[in-house]
Parts: sequence; structure tokens; C-alpha cells
Amino acid sequence: MATTNAKPHFSRKLLAIPYALFLLVFVVIPLFIIVYYAFTDDNGHFTLEYLRVFFNESGEGIKGFLTSYNFKTILRSFFISLMSTIVCLLIAYPVAYIIAKCQLKNKSALLLMFVVPMWVNFVLRINALKELFIWLGTYNKSNEWNIINTIIGMVYDFLPFMILPIYTTIIKIDNSYLEAAKDLGATNQRAFLKITLPLSKTGIASGISMVFLPSMTNYVVSNYLTFRNVKIIGKLIDDYFMGDLWHDGSLIALLLLLFMFLMTWLTGGFSPDDQAEKRGASIW
Amino acid sequence: MERKKQPPIIELIDVCKEFDGVSVVENINFYIRKGEFITFLGPSGCGKTTTLRMIAGFELPTSGKILLNGEDISHLPPNKRPVNTVFQKYALFPHLNVFENVAFGLKLKKIETTYIDKKGNEKIKYKKLPKEVIDEKVKKALEIVDLSGFEKRSISTLSGGQQQRIAIARAIVNEPEILLLDEPLGALDLKMRKEMQLELKAMHKRLGITFIYVTHDQEEALTMSDTIVVMADGCIQQIGTPEMIYNEPQNTFVADFIGESNIFTGVMPKDNQVRFCGKAFPCMDGGFEKDEPIDVVVRPEDVTITSPEDGVLKGKVTSVIFKGIHYQILVQCGRYEIEIQSTSAPAVGDIVGLKIAPDGIHVMKKEFTVNKFSGVITKRNTVEFGDGEFECDVTQLYPGSHLDEEGYLITTKGEKIDLTDTEVNVEVGLLDITMSDNEDEGGAQGHIISLIYKSEYYRYIVRTENEEDYVLACEDLWNENDRVSLIIPKDKIRLTLKTAEGNK
Repeated sequence: MATTNAKPHFSRKLLAIPYALFLLVFVVIPLFIIVYYAFTDDNGHFTLEYLRVFFNESGEGIKGFLTSYNFKTILRSFFISLMSTIVCLLIAYPVAYIIAKCQLKNKSALLLMFVVPMWVNFVLRINALKELFIWLGTYNKSNEWNIINTIIGMVYDFLPFMILPIYTTIIKIDNSYLEAAKDLGATNQRAFLKITLPLSKTGIASGISMVFLPSMTNYVVSNYLTFRNVKIIGKLIDDYFMGDLWHDGSLIALLLLLFMFLMTWLTGGFSPDDQAEKRGASIW
Repeated sequence: MERKKQPPIIELIDVCKEFDGVSVVENINFYIRKGEFITFLGPSGCGKTTTLRMIAGFELPTSGKILLNGEDISHLPPNKRPVNTVFQKYALFPHLNVFENVAFGLKLKKIETTYIDKKGNEKIKYKKLPKEVIDEKVKKALEIVDLSGFEKRSISTLSGGQQQRIAIARAIVNEPEILLLDEPLGALDLKMRKEMQLELKAMHKRLGITFIYVTHDQEEALTMSDTIVVMADGCIQQIGTPEMIYNEPQNTFVADFIGESNIFTGVMPKDNQVRFCGKAFPCMDGGFEKDEPIDVVVRPEDVTITSPEDGVLKGKVTSVIFKGIHYQILVQCGRYEIEIQSTSAPAVGDIVGLKIAPDGIHVMKKEFTVNKFSGVITKRNTVEFGDGEFECDVTQLYPGSHLDEEGYLITTKGEKIDLTDTEVNVEVGLLDITMSDNEDEGGAQGHIISLIYKSEYYRYIVRTENEEDYVLACEDLWNENDRVSLIIPKDKIRLTLKTAEGNK
């Protein structure tokens, strides 16, 4: 009543509306649609049938699930992700460390060398990699080579996401910590193991979550670099939707979502870690 | 006070340090006796922290030697030196708790044990310290810094003062021969700082090890040290006990930096007599040439206020400020402004007399009376020196000579000389340089890097981009870091030829 004459007044809160709308339309509603499809049948009735089918299609209980096609796909995805993450970490840590510690003035230029490939279209890059594999002769029907090709593709694609957060944490480690460690009697190697490595943990965790989870679903890589005989979980979901099996597809998508949630939670991605924030380790 | 007769533990011989060609520490020579509490005191950028870091091993000297117990350790890495450091911002490891921080050094320590192997040969084995020994030592160190029971606490939950103590505990637990402290109290508030000063001093007595302390706070240095090393511009200005440094400063820099002081320019007509502020005073110094300009330093507490008739100087009180224990009083005596500290205060506007006891007057050699440069004659009437180019009169190089229309110098004998590229010595008096805001007005430009008030004028040092320094005196007040242009009148530039031997 008192505000009848009040002019429409601009508050900063209004700026949040576009984002809130976006969130609603493209995140929250689709999420509900997935949940809805996962637990209803074609007539729209609630059912746990698809959950049962996923875990117990053959009717042989847990034993049947462990030998099922779906489980094998999940296992394969997990293996590829794990290998890609390990290789990424093994390459990225030394690179990030060397760039962060080098005496060059223009470190960002050096860093850019690893980031610039990301600006080239992803499909184009994977295709180029495929040509390389054909030339090398590793692009063939052998199952082992196909898995290796996929892992190389994943590493190639996700390496910058591992380098950047590790680089940011290492560069923010105050040099006085290392000086203090050496002052207290540590050799260079000891100082690295006792100080630099533990203090860059947040960057490593952030890098892992940025490589591991996307590697589970990035089936473009496995499709292009193999004879389509390496199926990962992302491809599984795709197949179901392409085959008009929306309910099964939604259920798997939902399970994957829960798995990722669990992973993020386990690696401490949700804890309000001041240190990680201060260090700018997370680029999510 | 004489320094205790202990053997020197550490000795710096001709130590220099350059960063990218810029000299930070120049030719430092001194020794520290075992068990001493020594302080490097100086303004920021004077090289005191660099000197400390060279002793710790974080920087290697560009030239010179550092001896520890007579052995050269100049190029030993920090982990091989029996010294430990308390860092300016503590540098406590954030991912470790208090116990792990303090035990860090102990866990790395290896002790030598000899044993006899099966064949009966004597062998040396390096063993880690046993856990119980580490626990015991950490406990003791935490007791010393008064933080018993804090073992399990995480670093981020500690206050600044507590972190400070942990940093000290982490260093002393290793039982170093020398403890280095790099402005360790800088981040604490005033009250905490005073408390810690006394505690550190007590700790030094209890532990009996050598402390090397770095600070820019003169009061801190005077309170804590056995010996103070005053530094400025990478050089040692004076080494001595706090009493010596305060009562007998070696130059105006030390006098100005340590405590308050009145600095005058004067002359000594004879030994034990000095003239400044237009009056003669009896004093206790001597040995200067007659009428040689000298600096006179008088501490504010050494000036006594008397009735106008009894005073040597007479002036008007312009300001009285209550400072707690004493009053800070400014008296204007003609051109000179004199600062006085006294427990009783006259009223502003009073006419008072001032007296200075002979032992309150400190006479010191004037460091600087003339600017000397080496330069090159560029064109017919300009000379390049000190990172600038000035108009000058080149005929002074050859008495009685003159310039012809083409710019050649014609001597009295009729010789024709082309002076271009001739190397010359240039001298410019302190009072002959003036400063200007206008960039283009003067022959050289630079920033004011230091100013010292000398009662009738300010003494400025202006540094150009290529690190040439001009010293000049001026009555107006400019600010430090002001960018100025330097004007020198043509007839005030004194030129002399560089002889073949090259008198530098």
C-alpha cells in the first residue's frame, strides 16, 4: 500500500534472473525429465522395471549383472578414464612444474602452447589424430590398439585441463615455504616431496575431476579413433536414445549422474575448502 | 662498552651482491662474536635482508667470502649450514599441524652412529632420530615459546603472535649455532611487538646462541641488541653498541636514522670549539681543519631551555606537543628551527634561551661538499655527465683561450683544438644545483631518493635513471620520489682536463 507511488527500482538481484531462468530451463527441468523417464513406462505409470532390467536383465541376479553387456561397458569406460587420467597427470605435473618454476619472463606464452590446441575444433583435431594413427598403422581392428587409441585421444583432448589447475597451484606456492624447508635441512628433492607436492594437491584433485569424469562419456573420441568397437558409457546412452529407448537411456544417464556426484564428493569437490578457493585451483 | 671477548663465529669478508648488474650490497666486512645478539638496522632497500639471506644461504655472494668458525661457507646450500631462520611472514607450512611444523627439521636430521659389522670392521651408519627424542625436543621447544599443548592445532587457527612463536620454536628446536631473524615482529601490533622484543631478548640469554636480527625499527634495535650494524645503500655506516650508535653517531645518516636529531652545518675555528647557528659553542671534538665545513648533530634532549638572558641562542617557541614522557618543543632561532625534548614545557610564543652542554654536541666530517662526475665534451659548449647534458664554458680548460666561430678552441698560443669527445672531470657545488618540475628545463632528470633536514636547508639526493646521484641543498621542501629536472648554471660547472694518468 505504501509503495503505490514507488518507481520501478533496479536492484542488483535482478541481474540474477537471466541465469536463474537458464538454470531452470536447461538444467533443472531436463533433470526432472530424466528422472521422470527413468521411472515411468510408455504409459506414464511409475515403474522400477528399467532399474531391474539394467541390473538384472538376465534374471541371474548379481552374477548376471557382472557378466552383462552394460556392466562391461561401464568397466571399460572406467578403465579408459582411469588410464587417461593417470597418463594426463604424469605428463601434466612435470610440464606445469617446469613452466611454473622456469625463470622466463613470459611464462604465459609457454603455457599458451598447451592451451592453443584447444582453440582448434575438437572434431578436426581428433580426425587429424586418426589420420596419424592410420599412418602409424595403429588404426586397425585389434582390440588392444583401439583401447590405446582411445586413451591417447582422451589424453590429447584433456591434457590442458590437467595442466592449468596444477600450474595455478604450483605458481601460488610461496617461495618462502621452500626456503624454510631447505633452511631446516631438506634437500631439493625432500622439499619437493614434503612441501610442493602436498601443497599442489588441490590442483591435482581439480585436474583429476576435470579429466576423469568427461573421459567417461566422451564417445566422440572412441568413435573416431576406433572401428566403433570400443564402446564407452556415453555411447551406451547415445545408442539407447537413438534406438528410441528413452527410458533405459534416462536411467543410465541418471546412474552416471549419481556416480559423478559421488566422485566429486569423494574428491572433496563440494567441501567449502578455503584453501582451494584462495589458490584458484578450481576453474569450474 | 667493549664487545665481549668471544671468538668470532661468523665473518663476512669483502662481500658484494649484485642483482642483474645492480649492486645491492657493497663490500661488507664485519664479524660476529659467539653468543652475540646483533642487529642489522637500516631503511628498506639498504641491503640488510640480502646480507642475512647470504648468511642463510638463500643468496650466493657475487664476490667475497663468508666464514663460519673459520671455514668458508659462501657456496654451501642452506640445508648444509648450521643456521636456522625465522622468516618475515613466518612461512609455516600450512598443510602441517604445529607438531609437524616444529618437528620438520628434526625428522630430516640424521645422526652418525658407528657400529662394528660381522667382519669386525668399523662402519658409520646414518640413522634417523628416534620418535621419542623428536617428541621430547618438540615438547621442550614449545615450552620455551610458551605454547605447550598446541601440538595438534592447525596453523590457520593460530593468531599472528602464536604463529610467530611457532616459527621461532621450529627454528630453535634444531639447536642451530646461529638463529637468523628477518623482521620477525613486523606483522604484529605494537603491544605484542614490545612483549615479543623482551621475550626474544630473554630467550637469547637462556639459549646462549648467536642471534642475527634484521629490522628497520631503530627502537627495536636499541632495545634488543648487543651490537647494531647500521646499513644504508648497501654499505655499513656504523657498527657499535646501542649506546655508541646513539651517543656518537658516525655521520648524519646514522644520527638522522637513530632517534631524533638536529643537524646543522658549522665550522670549527679551533679544537674544542664549534660555530653553528651563528654562535660559538664549546665542545669535546677536534682534529678538523680550520673552517672546514662540518656537520653538527645535537639530540633534542641535550638542548636545555633557559631564560632568554642565560641562553647562548635565543628564539621563539613555535610548537609544543605532549608525547607522554616528555614534550616535543620547536624553537625558531632566526633561520634555524631547533627541536627540543623536555619534561617541562614553555608556552607557544614564549621567547626562550637555549643552551647545549659540550658533551651534547657531536661534530662529524661533512660527507659531501661537492658533486664530482666524469664527463665528455660533446659539442662546442656542452658537456655530458651524470646521465645528462649541460651547457658549460669550455674555455676554463685552457686559461685565456677563446672559441672561434666554427667551435674550435683557440689557446693563448694560437693553437686550434677540437674539444669534441674530450674527457673531463666535472665538479658542481651542492648549492649550485636547483630543481624544477619542468622536465625540459634542466640538463638531467631524476627522482629524489633521500632528503635530510639540516635545520636551515634540506639535503637532497636525486638519482637519475642510470643511477647517477646528485647531491644538492635546497631550502624548499620537496617530496621523496618526486621527479625533478636539475638545473645547473653555465658558470657553476667547473671543468678540469683528465690527465693522461687519469685521476679518475
